[in-house]
Amino acid sequence: MRRRALLVAALLLVGPAVRAQEQAASGDPQGVVGRPKGRALHGEALLARTEDVAGLLRCPVCQGLAVADSPATMAVNMKAQVREMLAAGYDQEQILAYFEHSYGEFVRLQPPLRGVNWLVWLGPVLALAAGGFFVTRALSARRTAAPAEPAPLPGPATLPDDPELARYVRRVRELAYGWPQGRAPGSEA
Amino acid sequence: MSTETARAFNPRVLLVGLGVVAPLVAVLVMNLGRDPHVIGSPLVGRAAPDFALQPMGGGAPVTLASLRGRPVVLNFWATWCVPCFEEHPVLVGAARRLGEKVRFVGVIYEDSEEGVKSFLARQGSSYPSLLDPGSRTAIAFGIFGVPETYFIDAEGRIAAKHVGPLDEQSLALKLAQAGVTP
Repeated sequence: MRRRALLVAALLLVGPAVRAQEQAASGDPQGVVGRPKGRALHGEALLARTEDVAGLLRCPVCQGLAVADSPATMAVNMKAQVREMLAAGYDQEQILAYFEHSYGEFVRLQPPLRGVNWLVWLGPVLALAAGGFFVTRALSARRTAAPAEPAPLPGPATLPDDPELARYVRRVRELAYGWPQGRAPGSEA
Repeated sequence: MSTETARAFNPRVLLVGLGVVAPLVAVLVMNLGRDPHVIGSPLVGRAAPDFALQPMGGGAPVTLASLRGRPVVLNFWATWCVPCFEEHPVLVGAARRLGEKVRFVGVIYEDSEEGVKSFLARQGSSYPSLLDPGSRTAIAFGIFGVPETYFIDAEGRIAAKHVGPLDEQSLALKLAQAGVTP
């Protein structure tokens, strides 16, 4: 009887250990990202961090959804693994790197700062700076330019120097006042 | 007067316009030949992730390390997946034919043990199918959907990946990449 109780106790102790070992061998992150670098989380902090990190991972079977936001089985499983890794003390970068190892950079919803990705992060800032530069330059050019003197209106006896403008002024005066050749009658001095 | 200046050729406007349009056109042209359905795996060329999975019908867990020495065909599948149904006879036949040279292993993806058991009873099998609780192994292999098949060489390095159902031709091609000569 006592022996049997001991056996049961031993099985209860060993059983979970064996299961844990099997799980560790399937999809064990340590071989990919090394030993946990962060602090092991539990309770409320663990749940909150799980949502944060799962929000940075793209669900591979969905269309542009984060693992945190998707009800797909794959996403649920990935989120469970994120939670387990956080509980084991892996930090955010290690977790993202683990999933990136098998899925590629695609799995990150935020492109990491490297290579051509710098363009994504710095492009808008550079474009804004360039736009600001051109706008300030255009504004200051307008401000420094001497206020244009309005061209003196031609008197009734004269016409502008610009031949094309003169042609229009003449035509308007002919139509409006009936002045022949656009000059006031009797104004010729 | 102003209409005349607007109509005149302005090289600066042309330059800025080209600066905006040219990179966009370049990106479009560069991707013309790309098939958006092809998803490359970053694992090809690297060591295959290890696993220890319980086979259907019980028995000791199958590990990748225990399969080393011969090339491995690792097929992720499910009974709810119609293309898996199509490729099943191809894989069963190949496993019977090449069993001496290649290890064929199925990994069940998001499916119930009972469903798989009755499927295999009906369709037949010639190689083990492993249960993957929580999809840990599927995630470690970067599975997007089923069927997806990894071809692992005798040293445990991933030689090739196939997305979608395998037929005789694609199977022979990928096997050759893993160092299996017919």
